[in-house]
Amino acid sequence: MIDAPLVDERRPVRNPEVWLRQAGGENVVYDPARGAVHVMNTTAVAIWVLCDGDTAPSEMIEAVCALSALPYEVVEEDVMRILDDFDEAGVISWNG
Amino acid sequence: MTDQDAPPIRVLLADGQSLFRDAMKVVLETRADFEVVAEAADGMHAVEEAVRTDADLALVDADLPNGDGVRTTRLIAERLPECRILFLSQHEDDVALISSLEAGATGFVTKESPIGDLIEMARRVHRGETTIPPQMLGTLLASLIRSKRQHDEALRRLARLTKREREVLALLARGADNEGIAQPLVISPETARTHVQNVLGKLGVHSRLEAAAFVIQNGLVDELAGAGV
Repeated sequence: MIDAPLVDERRPVRNPEVWLRQAGGENVVYDPARGAVHVMNTTAVAIWVLCDGDTAPSEMIEAVCALSALPYEVVEEDVMRILDDFDEAGVISWNG
Repeated sequence: MTDQDAPPIRVLLADGQSLFRDAMKVVLETRADFEVVAEAADGMHAVEEAVRTDADLALVDADLPNGDGVRTTRLIAERLPECRILFLSQHEDDVALISSLEAGATGFVTKESPIGDLIEMARRVHRGETTIPPQMLGTLLASLIRSKRQHDEALRRLARLTKREREVLALLARGADNEGIAQPLVISPETARTHVQNVLGKLGVHSRLEAAAFVIQNGLVDELAGAGV
């Protein structure tokens, strides 16, 4: 079992107004309230799917580690950067 | 040895449709790094052929007759652990993705993929990489998180048991009755029964069968192996 450090136990939750469209290898998040479009890479989409208000960032990081065998610190940096980007774009909020 | 000098990847094609097998064989054999060493139209034959030819890579279809693709994958993984398995599904099917990876596949691809993608995924799976369609990554991560939560919860419940109760649970998981529990622990059957009731209560299960299932489904057999019975 991975002995994960506590990163941030608040849980990110997708803004319900925002929707994801996946087509032709492109992943686009559209925010109608701001009229904003965000193009996402594969990892960002996976993290987006996990922003259900119930999953903590540390759980996301552990799962990516389990799948990729990458070091915790590397994955932590990527996941937290993605969540920061979502936060700045206003497409998520935080529970807890 | 360079890649060009490396022996070809020895492939088993397991698919119920001969047209698909023939097409894949033609395509793979135009590549110098693949050699199709066996074909199978059903699950049991696929397992036999994988073992007989000692295949490096098995392409296993989800809808194989006579032992579906997941069961076939599990059997090949058990009997030929060195063989990498790329699972072929008609569609992006979340259940098939999780089931196939749990069974031992390390790659998942849909038959809607371009042939070039399928061949590249076959190479990557043979190299030992885990490959799935990128758009299914979120589903897979969510499943991993669910499994870990379930396992953590099981460990929390297990931690409520005393050392003696863990010994009792280990015996329960092997199907022992009160007598079968009492004898190795050198206690009376009545005491064994009391321990069983305590174990059921602490685990929050309602029967001995449920307690045994709790151990097996949560992968706690090894955890209890140190219980000393």
